[in-house]
Amino acid sequence: MFRNGRRSASKVALALGRKRVTETATKAGWGLLRGAIRSQWKGLAAGVSVGLLWSAGKVAGPLLVQQAIDKGIVEQSSSLMLWVVLLLLAGLIAAVFTGARRWFAFREARWVETSMRDQLFAHLQGLHFAFHDETQTGQLMSRASSDLQQVQAFVVMIPMTLSNLATVVAVAVILFRLDPVLALMALGPLPFVNLLARRFSTKLFPEVMTIQAESAELASVVEETVSGIRVVKGFGAEVVQSSRLRAEADDVYAASIRAAAVRAWYLPLIDVLPLIGLIAVLGYGGQQVLNGELTVGELVAFNSFVTLLIWPLRNIGQLVALGQRAAASCQRVHEVLSTDPLVKDPVVPVRLPARRPGHPVGELRFDDVRFSYGRLEAVLDGFTLRVEAGESVALVGATGSGKTTIARLIPRFYDVEGGAIHLDGVDVRQSPLHDLRRAVGIVFEDTFLFNDTIAANIAFADPDAPQSAIEDAARLAGAHDFVVTLPDGYETVLGERGYSLSGGQRQRIAIARALVADPRVLILDDATSAVDPTKEHEIRDALATVMGGRTTIVIAHRPATIALADRVVLIQDGRVAAEGTHDALLAESEAYRQVLAAGERTRWAVVAGAGPGPAADDDAAGAQPVETSAAEEVR
Amino acid sequence: MWGGAAVSAEDRLQRGEGKAIAGRTFAMLRPYRRQALVAAVVITISTLTVLAGPLLLRYGIDHGIGEQDRGALSAAVAAYIVVAVIAAFASHLQIRLVARVGEGFLRDLRVRVFDHLQSLSMAFFDREKAGVLVSRMTADIDAMGELIQFGLLMFVMNGLLVVLTAALLLKLSPLLAVMCLVALPLVVVASVRFQRQSNRAYLTVRDRVGHNLSTMQEGISGVRVIQAFGREGEQTDRFRRSSRDLYDAHMDSVRISVWYFPVVEFAGAATTATVVGVGGWMVHQGTISLGTVAAFVLLLANLFEPVQQLSQLFNTVQAAAASLKKLYTLLDTETELPERPRAVDLPASGAIEVRGVSFGYSGSDLPVLADVELTIAAGERIAFVGPTGAGKSTLAKLVARLYDPTAGSISFAGVDLRDATNQSLRERIVVVPQEGFLFDGTLMENVRIARSDASDAEVEQALRDAGVWERFAALPDGLATEVRERGSRLSAGERQLVSLARAALVDPAVLVLDEATSSLDPGTEALVEKALDHLVEGRTVIVIAHRLTTAARADRVAVVADGRLAELGTHAELLELGGRYAALYESWIGSTP
Repeated sequence: MFRNGRRSASKVALALGRKRVTETATKAGWGLLRGAIRSQWKGLAAGVSVGLLWSAGKVAGPLLVQQAIDKGIVEQSSSLMLWVVLLLLAGLIAAVFTGARRWFAFREARWVETSMRDQLFAHLQGLHFAFHDETQTGQLMSRASSDLQQVQAFVVMIPMTLSNLATVVAVAVILFRLDPVLALMALGPLPFVNLLARRFSTKLFPEVMTIQAESAELASVVEETVSGIRVVKGFGAEVVQSSRLRAEADDVYAASIRAAAVRAWYLPLIDVLPLIGLIAVLGYGGQQVLNGELTVGELVAFNSFVTLLIWPLRNIGQLVALGQRAAASCQRVHEVLSTDPLVKDPVVPVRLPARRPGHPVGELRFDDVRFSYGRLEAVLDGFTLRVEAGESVALVGATGSGKTTIARLIPRFYDVEGGAIHLDGVDVRQSPLHDLRRAVGIVFEDTFLFNDTIAANIAFADPDAPQSAIEDAARLAGAHDFVVTLPDGYETVLGERGYSLSGGQRQRIAIARALVADPRVLILDDATSAVDPTKEHEIRDALATVMGGRTTIVIAHRPATIALADRVVLIQDGRVAAEGTHDALLAESEAYRQVLAAGERTRWAVVAGAGPGPAADDDAAGAQPVETSAAEEVR
Repeated sequence: MWGGAAVSAEDRLQRGEGKAIAGRTFAMLRPYRRQALVAAVVITISTLTVLAGPLLLRYGIDHGIGEQDRGALSAAVAAYIVVAVIAAFASHLQIRLVARVGEGFLRDLRVRVFDHLQSLSMAFFDREKAGVLVSRMTADIDAMGELIQFGLLMFVMNGLLVVLTAALLLKLSPLLAVMCLVALPLVVVASVRFQRQSNRAYLTVRDRVGHNLSTMQEGISGVRVIQAFGREGEQTDRFRRSSRDLYDAHMDSVRISVWYFPVVEFAGAATTATVVGVGGWMVHQGTISLGTVAAFVLLLANLFEPVQQLSQLFNTVQAAAASLKKLYTLLDTETELPERPRAVDLPASGAIEVRGVSFGYSGSDLPVLADVELTIAAGERIAFVGPTGAGKSTLAKLVARLYDPTAGSISFAGVDLRDATNQSLRERIVVVPQEGFLFDGTLMENVRIARSDASDAEVEQALRDAGVWERFAALPDGLATEVRERGSRLSAGERQLVSLARAALVDPAVLVLDEATSSLDPGTEALVEKALDHLVEGRTVIVIAHRLTTAARADRVAVVADGRLAELGTHAELLELGGRYAALYESWIGSTP
């Protein structure tokens, strides 16, 4: 019962996947693949050349055995030793060059994979925010891993397959010269090996994909059961989950059995076809020997040659399928690579005015700004605001009013669709991108820290910053005190396998990171939202220090944080609805009170500990509307 | 490329462990023993057909050609045809049989591990990382699947082939066979060396692939921060370095195979040359026939290729054995909350009595609760308040028997919870967690998870009881709405409503509510409040309260601090008492002038 919806969804996805594979003819994919191969042509050509030498050694083997039997053993017309030595030599050649062929093939294939992945990464780094908003990380990751893996698997086969092809041609020529009829009988079934191998791979592929899809569904049942174990146990839903898992396990089983059935039909046929050739060699070839038309050595050689060709032929069949898959993968990679960055450096850049002592910088001007994220309804429309150098402004508004959008337009994460934004008199679109972003420090709502040391995280904007600068920034952000208490201090590694910090601590590291480059404008986007209310005051103290004398844009919900700013701007429907100090707005603006109340409704007094300490510190600035409603609840 | 599998040193099985694992696996295969037996016979037949070809050629050359006997030649051909047909059938059968046995075994293993996992106590899930548990059911079982699909058959057949070929060669001509087998130890030594080196190389590759991908992942998920600080160039360089490391690791592993494959190939060629030389000399001496030499040349292929393949498969087999070991270890973990042999059903209603209860999480010396005494009357509403980590949640979990106390006892209507059946426990006492967790499926199915035998009408009634029927019935697909991955379509408040409807469906005597600390959207907030009001009607309610307003509305308040029951009484009584609760309340009121 739980499965129906999802099953059909996965089938659709599967069908789409299959369709995509058949659409491989798309030029872009092949074009990219061709380009990659062309760039490595020298190495690949070397691989093909040594492959041909391998081929020669391989083909010589049975011929020498034939000579040894006929001339050395049966006729005794020449020294057996000569043929034995030649046989050893041929073996040596084949052995040495099989290694060399492998070496070249993998060297070039891995290099193609590596350089394409580097290219992909570099390109992604340059793509605008809007692209990343729309694209899931997982999708990009699969481009970089499984798709490029497919390309690698194809490129590696090129030298292998070409030398295999040479082997097939050489053997065919030799056999036809020995005995055309016998050659036809011996080799006749072999093309079908190739045909069957190809058909096999196309039949098996969808089944393997089904197994993968079904396994993924099974994994998701396990995953949700483990993460929802409290609910499962709380309601005694073990039986329900167990029957769901059984159903998924049955699906995986059924799919695996179907795949096994495909194998069970094709593999024996592929194996038995060459036997037909071998039987023909023994039957017809034997008669020919009796008739004196063929020597025993030639008969044995025929036998060896047929065996020799089995693998190369199967392998040639694979190349076509691999090529199609590689092109399909390349097409998906191409989709990303062909996306042009929308936010680009200006053609004629204008530098921001230099800083001079005594002249405050960071003056911001929004003129009639319009922005809609490319949708019909504008988020900002006619937004005009001036922020003086060194001034701190709090942006307040309901969810979706456009506060965060304003913050994102300043460092050009997106470009305005109408109007303009000037920083120190320069249109932000005219400034070199790198300079602009160095001039604007931003603390995001969700603090993203890298799996690296605290020092490296703080010095992210400026890796060459001296330790003293890192510590100064940390002190300003109120992070220094807790960092030094950590076991490794600033060298503490953060992240999955490293130390995990609390929300408030992460936030303070992020603030220090924004400060280390001494930006003209500091943007704090809801920097306290993720913080435990009882710890909020710690950050607030840090913010108060940081904001002193620096142009700061603060986006906040909590009155206490808002009150830190020199000026408060209320945003409604994408424009400025009211502005003034926190106290003035609280007194005058009904809309302002409502917005604050909506934000505050969702917060409760938390029983945080015995004693009046932290709780009293909370909400020190007080927001009347909220407390009245809370008081009503108490009554 | 060779098999993509490897085992790290710590995963490698100890001596004796392999035996235990094999024994246990055979025991689990018991339901399939007939099919497995047939498979073994078929595999042997199929291996023998591989040997038949060269033997028939020998017969044809010696008796047909050598003795100019066209009849013998035809007989050899006819026999060959029969062998080919048998080979095809045997091969077909063995693939199907191995799949049926192997995949059946995997299915049983999946179900068994999953069921066992679910039977383990909450304490186990607190200890183990979710990711690790999921990987048991995915990565570890997949490692087995890989072996079954590709490796097992080849492993068995190749092993069999080497042994049978060697035996056959010895029988055909002991002297010539010994000459051939001279090179074999060399190949075996080289193969063992290769297997070790490639295992090591593969582990390095795996590490670096992991590092490369996580660098990429970090670069993509952190792209906003990277761009905000203009560090695209540095990140790209960093990624390049990790790519380069990966490339080097790949090339190291190729280098290993670059010496190994030529060695094996040359050993094969050298042996062929030996057979031709020595065999030819023996033909001259008249000790063996020309057909035997020809058969030897062809049989040699069955000797060297299997050894080469075995060395590559060895890693896959080892990895699968390591995975099996982990799975069996999990199956051996015993649940800490077993149902007692003569467990009884809990009565329909009654008081909860907590007597001298102490509790400490395993692996930690610090007691979370010490010597708690508390009686909760039937139909009473009690709020647990106290600082984070003081033990109020733990106390609530003990009442629902998500854990057992380390000392003391908890009873419901006079029955010790440890003597109750699991079934009745879940029906009487329901915990509604802070966040409404949704499973993949429809809304209807998500509510029904609380009682799988509930009819549609009962689910509807539960939704009505929770006062949320209108809200969900108004959705375009109504209760058939797919909630999708983790309920991304429903808001936190709506998820909470589903959670409450589940509780309504069970209709328990005791409701344990963990109040949400995070904010809900104002619209649903009110709805959740209303649903709660409906739900608590006529039940014993224990609230883990985070808001003082909630505490104030309860019949009694229990203040849990430092693992003890610090204060107990009505809101008014506690205010009068002037203790911790009063101080908290004062400070809260004080902050709201």
